[in-house]
Amino acid sequence: MAILQVTNLSKRFGGLTAVADLSFEVHEGEILGLIGPNGAGKSTTFNLIAGAHSADAGEIRFAGQGIRGLAPHQIAARGVMRTFQHNRPFDGMTVLENVLVGAHTRFSHNPFSRKAAQEESATRARAAELIEFVGLGELREAPVERLSFGQGRLLEIARALAGEPKLLLFDEPAAGLTLAEAERIAAVIRGIAARGIAVLLIEHDMRFLLPLAHRVVVLNFGAKIAEGPPERIRADPAVMKAYLGEHAAA
Amino acid sequence: MKNAAALRWIVVFAALAALPFFLSGYYNDVYRKLLLWIALALSYNFLFGISGQVAFSHFAFYGIGAYSVVIFLFQLGMPLPVAVLAGILVCTAIALAVAIPSTRLEGFYLALATLALAQLFIVVLNEGGAVTGGTSGLVDYRLPPVFGVRIAGPWYTIVIVVLVLATYAVLLRLDRSWFGRACRAVRDNPEAAAAMGINVARTKVIAFTLTSALAGVAGMTYAFVDNTVNPPIFGLENAFLLLFMVIIGGAGRHAGAVIGATLLYLLPFLLSPLIGHHHALVFGVLVVAAILLQPRGLVGLWRSSR
Repeated sequence: MAILQVTNLSKRFGGLTAVADLSFEVHEGEILGLIGPNGAGKSTTFNLIAGAHSADAGEIRFAGQGIRGLAPHQIAARGVMRTFQHNRPFDGMTVLENVLVGAHTRFSHNPFSRKAAQEESATRARAAELIEFVGLGELREAPVERLSFGQGRLLEIARALAGEPKLLLFDEPAAGLTLAEAERIAAVIRGIAARGIAVLLIEHDMRFLLPLAHRVVVLNFGAKIAEGPPERIRADPAVMKAYLGEHAAA
Repeated sequence: MKNAAALRWIVVFAALAALPFFLSGYYNDVYRKLLLWIALALSYNFLFGISGQVAFSHFAFYGIGAYSVVIFLFQLGMPLPVAVLAGILVCTAIALAVAIPSTRLEGFYLALATLALAQLFIVVLNEGGAVTGGTSGLVDYRLPPVFGVRIAGPWYTIVIVVLVLATYAVLLRLDRSWFGRACRAVRDNPEAAAAMGINVARTKVIAFTLTSALAGVAGMTYAFVDNTVNPPIFGLENAFLLLFMVIIGGAGRHAGAVIGATLLYLLPFLLSPLIGHHHALVFGVLVVAAILLQPRGLVGLWRSSR
């Protein structure tokens, strides 16, 4: 079932068309890669879905309901969580507290009610499981300042998962990571999809994305130029042309 | 575990409540005002240190609480519980009126709007005619009996002890909940906070309104300490002193607020025999030192020395 449906989405910045009449779907448990050369409109598309930018035209439906025009916090509350390309931890908090902030929308009792303590400890237990899941178990009580860049990326993922998303948006999750760290992230992302969560991945690095994605949408100058399984994308002449000279490895 | 925590609260309450019975009238007055400063510093720390809102209105809300309870009781003849509730409502309404427009803008505008409110409050007090008593304020009133009992002397000090502990309990509960974490997240990184589903503007408005109402309640309690309210008490000088207390003690930590308030309130008593009324100079040096050398204040100094 399609959890996210993007239809005829367009966004212009002044005279520049960043996204042009773009349509695609993401299904439950699927890893969809959105790729393209620099300036292809990947980040803009990401920001339109997350609510950081507002679209000029088109429709964004999540779980059957339109989410275009909602504020970022409203979109998160509906079950679309995101990570940041440049890690944005909450400083001065521990790893566990950061993940608990990610669970913000899961709290329903006011802090003075009798059920609040019960809810807090249940959420803490769930947050601890997620920290285990991404492999930061040893650092649960550590201040976030102590994490390496790669560990910070894992924290971003645990924090986003704490919101119990149905769709998780990744903004270049392998950027700035070593090969070993990138492989670790890829394994975690596979584990997330295996839980039935839809994953939309913006990526620039084909070597990271192609082995990971179930399906790939290729953008160039804001428009979709190819869509299909990674093996087909790898051999697509239009994709080769768009990337030629920029990514010889593709 | 739970019993141990309850026991700690009881022991602290008993110690703080027993103290006034051993103090003379003068020291009892010093003690009461120290407790009130601590209550104010605790709630201001939640607003400034934990929520990261640079507001200069906190002391004005203390004044609004004090004036409104006196006006409701003695100008409008309301019974005490009604006057207290009406006072809280006034503080809440004014806090919402200030917070809703200014939190939509950048933090700088909150500083300006709250500074304007603090100044406007003093103007209203001075120009308020018979209602506020003008420049000389309102005098010659006494706390009405509560259930037929007159609360005075050390017994009234116990009321203030209850106020401080209740303020602390409320703030501690908030700080350790999803709401406290949301406040810190909004302070540190509003964009990431929004991505976590936190309504940034709403979180700021709630924190501002709640802490301002707490300042108002402290002000209501203050109104029967000196049994007079007048404009100079609630001026900007004290608003800045409150800011200094939180910065020097260590913004963002409850212990910092208690230490900062205690130090800066008691320091003039120790310094004035030595340097007269120039203690403001010492405060200024302390604030600069805190910002340059130890931005986490005295609490940070103690923590990093371990």
